[in-house]
Amino acid sequence: MASSDPISPSPAARPLSPHLGVYRFTLTMAMSIAHRITGAGLYVGALMLAWFLLAASMDASAFAHFSEFIQSFFGRLILFGFTWALFQHLLGGVRHLIMDAGYGMDDPEREQMAQATLIGGFVLTLVVWAIGYAVR
Amino acid sequence: MSESDKSLRSALGRARHLGSARRGSHDAWLTQVSAAALIVLASGFVLTLLTLLSKDYNGVRAELGHPLPAILTLLFALTATFHMHIGMRSIILDYLHGHARDWALIANICFASAVALACVYAVLRIGFV
Repeated sequence: MASSDPISPSPAARPLSPHLGVYRFTLTMAMSIAHRITGAGLYVGALMLAWFLLAASMDASAFAHFSEFIQSFFGRLILFGFTWALFQHLLGGVRHLIMDAGYGMDDPEREQMAQATLIGGFVLTLVVWAIGYAVR
Repeated sequence: MSESDKSLRSALGRARHLGSARRGSHDAWLTQVSAAALIVLASGFVLTLLTLLSKDYNGVRAELGHPLPAILTLLFALTATFHMHIGMRSIILDYLHGHARDWALIANICFASAVALACVYAVLRIGFV
């Protein structure tokens, strides 16, 4: 009787490695998850960038369609979410680059970097939108 | 009866080639390099977009027709779609298996390439048409 799993032919029950459910919630964990989710969001949101550029490259009516969408409540909501995702992911990326270089993994620093990522993402989003409303 | 009782293959032979592909660090490196570039490029592109907010169709085209904003936009779009492609690939490899994984990897290539080419086509068309 061949087992479906080629490297564990024995049918004996083996202990599994602990999965997500056993971990207590931490901010560093939440920022790691947020990094992946915002990355996936930006992936889909890139369609908006392509639409904007294509609309500007075509005639005025194509651009008017895009303008109408992006200036609607729904469009602004999506653009605001996109802006936040961009800055959250950007700061999360900086955090990851710092940790990949071997720094900031001890107790005070890692919490501070996670907090800075969370707060900085919202602050940068609000700053850019404030400038946007001021210059439009 | 377990498989090991019938097979002539050794335990090592069965386990061999079932581990990591040993290419993961290359993706991590490409992610880091493109991420570092995107810190600059994304910030520059956001600033460019802020200057476009007060402009209409002709104003946006005139601005994106200049070499500096056009090249910045092209660099940003190409680097971002490259980074997107690797990032989504690692998500797919983490969560999907079998044929779903294969199709998702193909769809990822198609999506990232389509977005990249659409952006390049559009910026060149604004500049040259």
